[in-house]
Amino acid sequence: MMPEPRARGRGRPRRDTVSNVCRGVVAALAVTLAASAASAHHAVSAKFDEGRKASFDGIVTGVDWRNPHVHVFVNVEVEPGEVENWAVELESAALLEKSGWRRESLRPGDAIAVEGLAARDGTRQIWAQSLVLSATGRDVLHVRDTAPIAPIAPRPTPRWPDGTPMLGSPDTRDGYWGYPTETALVEDGVAVAMRPDGLLEDIGDAAKVAPLQPWALGLYVHRQSRGLQDDPIFLNCKPPGGVRHFQSPLGVQLIEDRDAQRVFVLMGSGNRNYRIIYLDGRAQVGQVGGDDDNPLYYGRSVGKWEGDTLVVDTIGFNEDFWFTEGGLPHTDLLQLTERFSRPDFDTLRYEVTIDDRGAYTRPWTASWELRWVGGEDLPVHFCQDNRS
Amino acid sequence: MTHSTFLTTKRAVPSAARAAALIGALALAQWMPAGAQEGHPLKGSWLGTWKSNDTHGENVLLVLDWNGESVTGVINPGTDNIRISEATLDPDRWVVRIEADAEDRSGRTLRYVIEGRIENLELANRSIVGTWENGRGGGAFEASRQ
Repeated sequence: MMPEPRARGRGRPRRDTVSNVCRGVVAALAVTLAASAASAHHAVSAKFDEGRKASFDGIVTGVDWRNPHVHVFVNVEVEPGEVENWAVELESAALLEKSGWRRESLRPGDAIAVEGLAARDGTRQIWAQSLVLSATGRDVLHVRDTAPIAPIAPRPTPRWPDGTPMLGSPDTRDGYWGYPTETALVEDGVAVAMRPDGLLEDIGDAAKVAPLQPWALGLYVHRQSRGLQDDPIFLNCKPPGGVRHFQSPLGVQLIEDRDAQRVFVLMGSGNRNYRIIYLDGRAQVGQVGGDDDNPLYYGRSVGKWEGDTLVVDTIGFNEDFWFTEGGLPHTDLLQLTERFSRPDFDTLRYEVTIDDRGAYTRPWTASWELRWVGGEDLPVHFCQDNRS
Repeated sequence: MTHSTFLTTKRAVPSAARAAALIGALALAQWMPAGAQEGHPLKGSWLGTWKSNDTHGENVLLVLDWNGESVTGVINPGTDNIRISEATLDPDRWVVRIEADAEDRSGRTLRYVIEGRIENLELANRSIVGTWENGRGGGAFEASRQ
């Protein structure tokens, strides 16, 4: 028998009805969700108010299983005979599927209890921190994706016959790089408390993050103080340009075309974008005939091997996007020097030097590692799928 | 191209034609969405009005750029071609100050000073709202990024 839907009141905290144990579980789940927030299409705080908890019980009327965010629609009886339809927003279909969930995990007619964060604009939307099937008490549709466990003894770096490290899969089958150890840019050696989506815990730390020019610091603080809600990747589905694709848990795939002397960087985030790194010694003009009048989201990249490190130089960025999570500004003077190395089979070390005299007072460097995800192809993720 | 060449060009074009060009640009801009601009907040084209400007008309177009050290640009390019001599941005309050030397019809130098605040900083079509003066007159200034 379908449970009778029972309103708990829009936006009304339900703490009086939740035991300490349950609160602990919810808190732990919230941490799990927060840890995955950098993968989200937008920072949670961009759209939802972290200071305004909301909860309700209701009946599922539909499940929109799409990227960048899955939505569950729920009928909630707010007063006897008065029903409101709410949209419950969740992580991307790509991440939920990696966590073992399917669109059939929740079906129309299911009775559920939802706890989460209310929308900033007061609309009937909630970011789910907990979604529980009333009939079974089972917590569903949460992200529980974790990086593959590293072997106790590191596997050796795969190499081409000439000894050059391979950047992709040694058998040319599936596999990609994901689970970056850093998901937002901070200068190496700087310690600041920052969420995975790049939001500073203390806005007073803004000047420590990177050597920002005064205007760039002001703009960074402005973006941070607005909860990153102006991020073009959220508002306009802009590509994850600059270094941003190397910070996405949805990963990157590096395909080496040795004959054509180029590396294709395929992206799990964004809209299955790609970027080409030319290794053939060409001038940094990119497209045939050059593209000086067509600045790019990924710039123009040329690279060469220095020992076991691929060094890539990129210029020609446009200013239409945020080049990292968290809203650090850049200008079209941005030049990136990226260094890729694979110290063992399962580790990709990524180091980037940011040289942008338009926004920063000096060049600065950040580095992190990505983990090999074998036997899988890149997750499918298109930002435009449910833009409405 | 020298400043005097600009002036020669300016005088060769009837005032009505110049006004029509600016009004046309203004009308066209109403139909064009502002291009994204996530870099320096002043960079881009700004279209609006400096009210009560009897010398250079009430419609105004600023084209601003950022070279990493300073803001450069021109006011009413193609018509008045008033080069900006200095532009500053206070990122604590987002106050803009622009200075530019122009000439009136008799060749007398006018020093324009525009001072305003950037509003809706996060939007591509952000605005500068404030005042202008040139030693002979002044009034309200407002321009939106195109």
